[in-house]
Amino acid sequence: MIDSSTLILTIMWGAAIGCIYVLLATGLNLIFGVMKLVNFAHGELLMIGAYIGFTFVTALGVNVYLAVLLSMGVVALIGIGVERLTFRRVLGAEKLNEIFVSLGLILIFDNVAVLLWGDKSKRLISPFENLSLNLGEASIRVDWLIAILIVIIILIALLFLIKKTKIGMAMRATSQRGQTSMLMGINIERIYVLTFALGAALAGAAGVLYGIIFPFDPYVGSLPTIKAFAIIILGGLGSIPGAVIGGLLYGIAEQIAVITLGSIWRDAVAFAVLIIVLVLRPEGLFGKRGE
Amino acid sequence: MFTKDIFSWMKQSTKSAKFYIFAASALFAFIIPLFFSDSLSIRVSTLMALFTIYASSWNLLATSGQGSLGHAAFLGIGGFTSSLLALNLDVPPIIGIFIGALFSAVIGFLIGLTCVRLKAWFLGMVTFGFAVITETLVSHFDEFTHGVMGFRTAPLVPLGLPFYYLALIIAISCVIIIYYIMKSKIGLAFRAIHQNESEAKMVGINTAKYKLYAFVISTFIAGLAGGLYAHFLRYIRVSIFTPANSFEPLMMSVIGGLGTIEGPIIGSIMLVAIDSYLPNIDQLLPIVHGTFVGPYLRLLGLGIFLVIVVIFLPKGVSSLLRKTYKYLRSSLKEDKK
Repeated sequence: MIDSSTLILTIMWGAAIGCIYVLLATGLNLIFGVMKLVNFAHGELLMIGAYIGFTFVTALGVNVYLAVLLSMGVVALIGIGVERLTFRRVLGAEKLNEIFVSLGLILIFDNVAVLLWGDKSKRLISPFENLSLNLGEASIRVDWLIAILIVIIILIALLFLIKKTKIGMAMRATSQRGQTSMLMGINIERIYVLTFALGAALAGAAGVLYGIIFPFDPYVGSLPTIKAFAIIILGGLGSIPGAVIGGLLYGIAEQIAVITLGSIWRDAVAFAVLIIVLVLRPEGLFGKRGE
Repeated sequence: MFTKDIFSWMKQSTKSAKFYIFAASALFAFIIPLFFSDSLSIRVSTLMALFTIYASSWNLLATSGQGSLGHAAFLGIGGFTSSLLALNLDVPPIIGIFIGALFSAVIGFLIGLTCVRLKAWFLGMVTFGFAVITETLVSHFDEFTHGVMGFRTAPLVPLGLPFYYLALIIAISCVIIIYYIMKSKIGLAFRAIHQNESEAKMVGINTAKYKLYAFVISTFIAGLAGGLYAHFLRYIRVSIFTPANSFEPLMMSVIGGLGTIEGPIIGSIMLVAIDSYLPNIDQLLPIVHGTFVGPYLRLLGLGIFLVIVVIFLPKGVSSLLRKTYKYLRSSLKEDKK
């Protein structure tokens, strides 16, 4: 039986991991919602983000949490490059082609990362490394709490961008009717680039936070992508609140599976849930029929 | 004179030309050990035949619009079934590989029941997830599967030439079977579903049924490839389920030419050749971060190649061959005038 301190620890741990999934899933959801693009290489942007943060921290000695911002910027630029060079050329044609391009990108990013940074696992050392908060018998690393806080700030900023600004309005319009919004004078190609860059920036932030919480290596990106997709499917395609709640629940559920069933079940449980949901509802938990 | 004869059949109907090209390639594959009889060449040729089977199975599924990202699950199920049957029940591997293929097809049928209702990316997710689940289950029931540490598999036929010819015969049979499936009504339905599923449904094709057919046939062949692969390596462990093994047939089919018969064959020959012969130059390359850069550069090149093929050559390398062939034919016709 799980005692209460383990439970608190598990939930906090799950929430911290969940936050990373939330950022990834939100970015993917944004890209999917606006561009109808399925980017299986999204997690590679997380991995690259972690390494870029690592480079900033080790080479320039910047604070890890400042590196979150810097990494967001750099990964957004990489995202622009990726969108313009690859995805734009296959967009809207065949769905399978997007998956193939993503797989090519996974190979490219993984191996570029190995060549640039080596394949040994690395960590981002935060200044609060040894600081932890004692809650009863469970002690919670301050970094987890900061990570959760940063994710909340980023999500609020994102919501503001989408709901209150003109660009956000153009993005929402494009996601509803691409063709019509083009007729209304929206430069949808620019919106596509912006959306992709925004999604990439979220992945970049997720990467640095990931690096603070876990050790990372060049192959760290693939599984979180698939899990982020699972979260999107569970939470509803195109729904950002769905991605947030789904991501948090998923992170916690995964940790509970690990402590109750053992760590080899970490990934399998997630997919089992996903497959069961899709058996019952092929369009996802909150997806619309016919979408 | 002789070249004229060759060109004269090229001018005949494409159907017989296709047959001759196929027969010539098959014959070439049969006699190639006469020229390259060292053990490495035979090993590489065997791998090419095995991956032709595996990639063709993936390609058949993709022809019906279903891109699996977890075909390694079926490769592994076929491999483990056959190896475990030989280990525990002394089933001769030549029968075992077919039992493995059948079992893989049964599992494929069950997974297919879910998958046929899903869209491209949902299907990708589910198949990928299924490979992860299979790997976990095989590791979890280790006392039964011995998958974590792996075990030595029984010999099917002696490695070297006998194995090569067995693999080749099975590969050729699979290609012929797939060719006839694609020519039949089922193949037509697959292509219709691939192009536009709702329209296919509208004209009265039972899309779910045909997609399930594709799943069962494809997983049967993938399981067969898995059995052969396990007995070829003489070793099996859970690493057979790695995503790399799932992506391999995808890359082979896409690079070779998606939805064509020759695509997976050309793709697997190219990729296996790259994997087998390029490492020879690894020592010449510099060492970065304490590791040889060769393997990573190869994978990087493969990634770039894949993206370039998808963007600029959506019908794969084989479409280049077709174009050359058509160009030759048309230039011949001009000559006649």
